[in-house]
Amino acid sequence: MGKTNGFLEYRRTELKYREVDKRLNDYDEVTIDKSIEELVEQGGRCMECGTPFCHIIGCPIINLIPEWNDAIWRGQWKEAYERLEITNNFPEFTGRVCPAPCETSCTLSINDAPVTIKQNERAIIEKAFDEGWVIPRPPKADTGKSVAVIGSGPAGMAASQQLRRAGHAVTLFEKNRKIGGLLRYGIPDFKLEKNVIDRRLEQLTAEGVLFETGVTVGEDISIRYLRDKFDAILFTMGAGEPRDLPVPGRELDGIHYAMDYLGQSNRRVANEPFEERELSARGKTVLVIGGGDTGSDCVGTARRQGAKVVYQYEIMPKPMIWDKPWNPSWPEWPQILRTSSSHKEGCERDWNVETLSFEGKNGTVSKGHFRFIEWLPGGKGTRPSMEAVEGSEFSLEVDLVLLAMGFVHVEHGRAVTDPAVELDGRGNIKADDYRSSVDGIFTAGDANTGASLVVRALNHGRLAAESIHDWLMG
Amino acid sequence: MKSDRHLFSAEAIVAMQKAVRNKDFNSFKEYSGIINDRARGLNTLRGLFKFKKGHPVALDEVEPVEDIVKRFTTGAMSYGSISREAHETIAIAMNRLGGRSNSGEGGEDEARYPLDSDGSDRKSHTKQIASGRFGVNAAYLANCNELQIKMAQGAKPGEGGQLPGHKVNEEIARVRFTTPGVMLISPPPHHDIYSIEDLSQLIFDLKNANPDARVSVKLVSEVGVGTVAAGVAKGKADMVLISGGDGGTGASPLSSIKYAGTWWELGLAETQQVLVMNKLRSRIRVQTDGQLKTGRDVAIATLLGAEEYGFGSAALVSLGCVMMRACHTNACPVGVATQNPELRKRFTGKPEHLMNFMCFIAEELRGIMAELGFRKLDDMIGRVDMLEVDKAVDHYKAKGLDFSKVLMPPERVDGEPLRCTSQQEHDFSLSLDPELVEACKPAIEKGESLSLDRKIRNCNRSVGATLSYNVTKKYGSEGLPEDTITVNFDGSAGQSFGAFLTKGITFRLKGESNDYFGKGLSGGRLILQPPLDSTFSGFRNIITGNVNLFGASGGEAFINGMAGERFCVRNSGATAVVEGVGDHGCEYMTGGTAVILGPTGVNFAAGMSGGVAYVYDENQLFDTRCNLEMVDIEPIVGEKDIIRLKILVQRHTGYTDSLVGGRILESWEESLPSFVKVMPIEYRKALEKIRERETQNTETTAITEEVFV
Repeated sequence: MGKTNGFLEYRRTELKYREVDKRLNDYDEVTIDKSIEELVEQGGRCMECGTPFCHIIGCPIINLIPEWNDAIWRGQWKEAYERLEITNNFPEFTGRVCPAPCETSCTLSINDAPVTIKQNERAIIEKAFDEGWVIPRPPKADTGKSVAVIGSGPAGMAASQQLRRAGHAVTLFEKNRKIGGLLRYGIPDFKLEKNVIDRRLEQLTAEGVLFETGVTVGEDISIRYLRDKFDAILFTMGAGEPRDLPVPGRELDGIHYAMDYLGQSNRRVANEPFEERELSARGKTVLVIGGGDTGSDCVGTARRQGAKVVYQYEIMPKPMIWDKPWNPSWPEWPQILRTSSSHKEGCERDWNVETLSFEGKNGTVSKGHFRFIEWLPGGKGTRPSMEAVEGSEFSLEVDLVLLAMGFVHVEHGRAVTDPAVELDGRGNIKADDYRSSVDGIFTAGDANTGASLVVRALNHGRLAAESIHDWLMG
Repeated sequence: MKSDRHLFSAEAIVAMQKAVRNKDFNSFKEYSGIINDRARGLNTLRGLFKFKKGHPVALDEVEPVEDIVKRFTTGAMSYGSISREAHETIAIAMNRLGGRSNSGEGGEDEARYPLDSDGSDRKSHTKQIASGRFGVNAAYLANCNELQIKMAQGAKPGEGGQLPGHKVNEEIARVRFTTPGVMLISPPPHHDIYSIEDLSQLIFDLKNANPDARVSVKLVSEVGVGTVAAGVAKGKADMVLISGGDGGTGASPLSSIKYAGTWWELGLAETQQVLVMNKLRSRIRVQTDGQLKTGRDVAIATLLGAEEYGFGSAALVSLGCVMMRACHTNACPVGVATQNPELRKRFTGKPEHLMNFMCFIAEELRGIMAELGFRKLDDMIGRVDMLEVDKAVDHYKAKGLDFSKVLMPPERVDGEPLRCTSQQEHDFSLSLDPELVEACKPAIEKGESLSLDRKIRNCNRSVGATLSYNVTKKYGSEGLPEDTITVNFDGSAGQSFGAFLTKGITFRLKGESNDYFGKGLSGGRLILQPPLDSTFSGFRNIITGNVNLFGASGGEAFINGMAGERFCVRNSGATAVVEGVGDHGCEYMTGGTAVILGPTGVNFAAGMSGGVAYVYDENQLFDTRCNLEMVDIEPIVGEKDIIRLKILVQRHTGYTDSLVGGRILESWEESLPSFVKVMPIEYRKALEKIRERETQNTETTAITEEVFV
């Protein structure tokens, strides 16, 4: 159970990053891997709470966090991996890119620094890969049923693995050249190197999951055909429809969606050919609109491409600055100012900024017009409203504008419209226990919930697999 | 992956803490919704019940929250198991509401007895008297309005508690009259209760030790608890508490938490039925506890027959407990169940939080009362006809359950009420104390020394308890200067002679005494010798009954003659000289000194973790009679030991004209090798540690002084 009073004896050690001027020269991961042996004391800080908030409230996949923390403390690495593997198909992804709600809900976060849960998770899985503990687990017997999984992001990958392990024949369809979804074409390499995905795909391949890449379902292959060939279909194509910025000048060249920009950058880093026109921030003044993780990824990518200067504007107010190790809104996710590794690489951030219009030269953007706003608290049941601050208008000369304002819903391509699955109010696929309105078609992940965390997608994929299994086996 | 099911889920904890901190009734509703839902999820028996349809009344016609919360108490959680901060916060909150907090069995710091400058009352108004009698002395008994005899504890019925040595810091040890660092064991039984008559005697003792307090008895729900409760009612307790078996404590053995005791629903229903059918209900109040968490729980308890309600875990959660279930490790990260000063700083609970919790419970209860059509809680007590089994609970295990005996309205002989409507009639007609208190007024009021002579008969019980109460009320546990009051009794003393006798009072008895001589002795002096004209030899005959000096915390007793069994059990500070004892002498002793100038029975010093016994082992048989599990037997060689022993034998002989004492003193050099010293192993280690620290301290002081000179 960790070490009694371990949290009083040992301090939390933070993850270390490579130096900014070095890391800007490449796209390698910015973090410095810690070996599990270095984390023994951190495992000892876990109190193995009778009510483990990290596990119940924090972690969407209910990772057995106290158990593997304890195993780390006792030096039982393999046991740690075995406990981790029970709930999490891909700890190497979550160990790198998860915002770690487990740590903000760690009991220690009430009044102390939480256990380094995310670092521990990553160290366990890296050790497991090094030691060869990660082995394929093909099913003992085939059920004779088949499932088509559409979209190979974390939800699709997790569902495919779970379904295959249950004995079903699984084909995972992906419109891009390679499997991985946003893990591969959204998250930059400096946060998640792509060999990490490839390494895992070897396991899926060995287990017998079939991959069909470069196929856009609904265009290249019809849903009708898939329904004919497979017993069940699972939609895990994510929430790809980006939120637009309908202001004058939006149509100008040089204003792009973040995902187009990041996807191309990732392809370039991976030496993967691409057909679109090249987008680069080299020597440019870049403005990222949107203050979330995607925006932050744009900042880091632009810096690496050699941007002259990078601005990031957010329409919401600046969150509270919090420099204490504990969580002011335990066990919930705190709304505090977060500064990512990309921000530290050089970026000017501002909040409460509304974009009014863009103007350009020769059809290319050259200037943006903005003003500051103020948020007025809403009454009971109504949202806060915004009000312009008089005389606060200003403009900024820009060469490249990246729109990272989130995603609205799943893309309404023919995959969705042909079978006419019912959509919810926000435009995502409606589901009850992962079953869509059309019998035999299931959905999970962002396509069902709207954009969310990798770890939630993972959880969704696993649960959808269970639901499909129950449905198939009757 | 699904997580384990606990009644207190993480979500419930968060919702409740949010509710009490922000005084947000909606959050509280969310909390009770989660709990009630879990309860219906077959975690509890009450989850299988539902209310029948009543004739609703308007909510504002229902008894107000302020009246309802007066019936609320908190569970018995000792200072020691929980931190000082938590314990005092609970007390302040409950006292502000007009309810009660429970001291648990760990004594209480006397500094908490007077009111704070802001009027806050930090003392627990229910003082628990448990088998260990830790910290029970005259002052402890005098400063409360309820004395609770704990017969058993829901989380571990039939077992004693243990406080691991590392949780016994100096302060805990001080209020419990024990030694820091030494593990404390509460024996499973009360050594002064082996029958319902013994219990009745203890109730009488306590009633004498604090005539202003009511006396309650805590039982644990099990089959047949109704019969015991009837005995408790006949034994003249003012309240009986039926505690549920799923009461929580992080410091019980897992096997007991999971498998011992039954649910309060069963025990309460049985108690109510037995009390009503035997025409006893009208004179005793009934309380219940054990995982009460919501207004619905309280409503069901009321309908089953309870008029008061206790909250343990839920109260702690309102003050920041996050159900770590690590209370035994002393590493509670929120400063609730720890004595570590670093961790205690992390306690953030406020009295308001607990008060909000109690008020929310009452508010929820009011809602249910209005729905069922009860304006007064009194009208609702025992109305089991308003409960039925929820047929909607769909589980194969629930199908075979028959609740007809639980939900059966009892037969009401002669219109016996369903709740307490009168009071116990306590008979003090044979008590000597009222007259003694009158006669001692000059001593109590002006501190004048006085000496009285009184006859005593064996029907005069608990003599001295009320006298001590009156002294203590005025002077605290400091009492009066030595020998301010001397009473010379002549005759055969009844049970509990000199019970809880406090400092400044000397009772000298020429004659003999019944059981419980010097029970809970709190600093007074007791001298017992045979009548001068007796023809038998004192040291060969038993002069006083069983269980002498049980739970004594201070004072002295000199007994010319032999004592019965269980001599000095749970003594934590008194000094006693006696000329022979029966079996189980000095059991569970944690402090004080016992000198035995004659033979002992078997099992001497079992579970003894502190204090010292000197035994005159003339026949060299003592090592066959001593329980050596926790003690060493050593010869008496130390200078200090020899002097101390000699002085005690000299005083004994001086006070009681002891023949044995005289003979030993006459041939002291020859007798000394026949004495052995019984030394608890852990106690010696703790003393050595304390001494080491003291020497270190003096050394540092010396160095500093040198530097400054």
